[in-house]
Amino acid sequence: MNVVVCCKLTPDPGDLEVRSDGTISLDRAEWSIGNFDLQAIEAGVRLAQPAAGKVTALSAGPRPIQNSKLKKDILSRGPDELVLVVDESLRMADTAMTARVLAQAVRKLGPVDLVLCGEGSADLYFQQVGLQLGEMLHLPTLNAVSKIELIQDAGSSPNTLRIERSLEDELEILEVPLPAVLSVTTDINQPRLPTMMEILKASKKTVTEWALSDLELDGSPQGQIEVLDVRAPVQVQRKKVMIPGTPEEAAQALVGYLNKEGIL
Amino acid sequence: MATGKEFWVFSEKQNLLSELAAGVRSLVDPDEGLVAAVVWGTRQESEQAAGKANRVYWLGERPQDALVEDCVPTLARLVQEQNPYGLVVGSTRRGKAVAGRLAARLGVTVVTDVLEFQPDGDGLTARHMIWGGGAVRLEKIASPPVIATVGPGVFDAQIVQSVSPGEIIEVPFVEPEWRLTLRERKTRPPAAVNLASARKVVCSGRGVANMQDLSMIEELARLMGAEIACTRPLAEGLDWLPRERYIGVSGAFVKPDIYMGIGVSGQVQHTVGMSGSRVVVAINKDANAPIFAQADYGIVGDLYSVVPALINAIKARRGT
Repeated sequence: MNVVVCCKLTPDPGDLEVRSDGTISLDRAEWSIGNFDLQAIEAGVRLAQPAAGKVTALSAGPRPIQNSKLKKDILSRGPDELVLVVDESLRMADTAMTARVLAQAVRKLGPVDLVLCGEGSADLYFQQVGLQLGEMLHLPTLNAVSKIELIQDAGSSPNTLRIERSLEDELEILEVPLPAVLSVTTDINQPRLPTMMEILKASKKTVTEWALSDLELDGSPQGQIEVLDVRAPVQVQRKKVMIPGTPEEAAQALVGYLNKEGIL
Repeated sequence: MATGKEFWVFSEKQNLLSELAAGVRSLVDPDEGLVAAVVWGTRQESEQAAGKANRVYWLGERPQDALVEDCVPTLARLVQEQNPYGLVVGSTRRGKAVAGRLAARLGVTVVTDVLEFQPDGDGLTARHMIWGGGAVRLEKIASPPVIATVGPGVFDAQIVQSVSPGEIIEVPFVEPEWRLTLRERKTRPPAAVNLASARKVVCSGRGVANMQDLSMIEELARLMGAEIACTRPLAEGLDWLPRERYIGVSGAFVKPDIYMGIGVSGQVQHTVGMSGSRVVVAINKDANAPIFAQADYGIVGDLYSVVPALINAIKARRGT
């Protein structure tokens, strides 16, 4: 079973700084694996390992994704190898452009049984790339997948998944023929913390780097969204009254304040 | 005006469809433009939609075991034939699947969870939250068809029942290339709460050490007449509370008279969902917790002593 897991590497949203004019800076942010992609990696590894399959992690982005710490971080979470598509033009890629690049990379990787994506990226969280990628590859594709299991046919190689899909007001149990492209939810599993052993092993695993030109795309991919402005949401001015005293005193004072606000 | 022609709406949720139809009205030319709803459902549903839109494209009755997403090839052909300026899809998980797959077929991109549209010269701009709520991005979508998703409660346009119902155009269904076998469909228990409309909200965060401790916070909430809410880890991961109770960028957005955060540190992914509250109270033992910068009243202290004290103080004031 060959699994490709797509993950987005981005500046860590926790390192976002707001400038005095309301614009934001990520210049000092460390890059990391998207929070919601860790579950996709874990799901891929859990599916492939018992079947002696292979897990390839795939990411596309600008030069900072070549950071060796990042590469090691991904590989220490279980994938057998890592493929990066690196190009500065991907820094501002919209979902359609990202999906197109990933689709071409998946094709280049050869026969694949399953492509997994996370719930959404850590930066834009459009929750689109998995679905667009599936459609571009002409494969069955679903989002909101909260459970995946192989249907084991006696003797034959497994070629169908039974999945649970977690929607707002219902759960669906579906059978999905492989190959397929699935986007998983954040509660599909609890991603492992890499062990020392896995961290050591990670540095011996293969990392392949492709330029966009290696993908032989039809024309250079272009974004269709023009970003006009990015700024922190306007903060509501708050009173910031810090109430001192023992818990009893503070509680009483708070009740007094809330009463004055007309709330209690 | 952004468009001279059709603006379409689609959602598997009837209420959301009506909201979207009312909301995109301001984006079409009042003289030449029209709002059209795309419906794959019963005749009655298409007639209901016709009361809200100038036109309904009716894909026929949806079979019980079909997935809503099976209509993507039909939608794609319809868009190619009719050239609408845009299509706004209700921002459910299914809606996002429909929008993404449709866009890929049409070779365009998607903007999801749009907070606001503005006509801009020959095009349309959209606002969207990025960085987990840490920033809002204004973007211009280059060319039609513009495909976007919008969630419930975003458009606050009044839903108007039109005097003359729109025409219903029957559209032949295009059989999809693949269908999945539906083994089972389980309805989740209906959401017990609509946090978005709650007047008072008491929200638990990671400072709460054990699930049992929530009962103390529930008592406080009962006393205040407040709804119980939580941060994402308590609903997803710890599973202490149902998902519909978490506040934050991918969860509920609240705008109550009072939000009380108990053991909530105040990560932006959470606070973006409560910043519209009238009064914010924070109780946290870490004086440096970011939530205090966004609070009207803050108590630095152990929630295990402050919450019981607060319960007593409220009871005392009420003389019970």
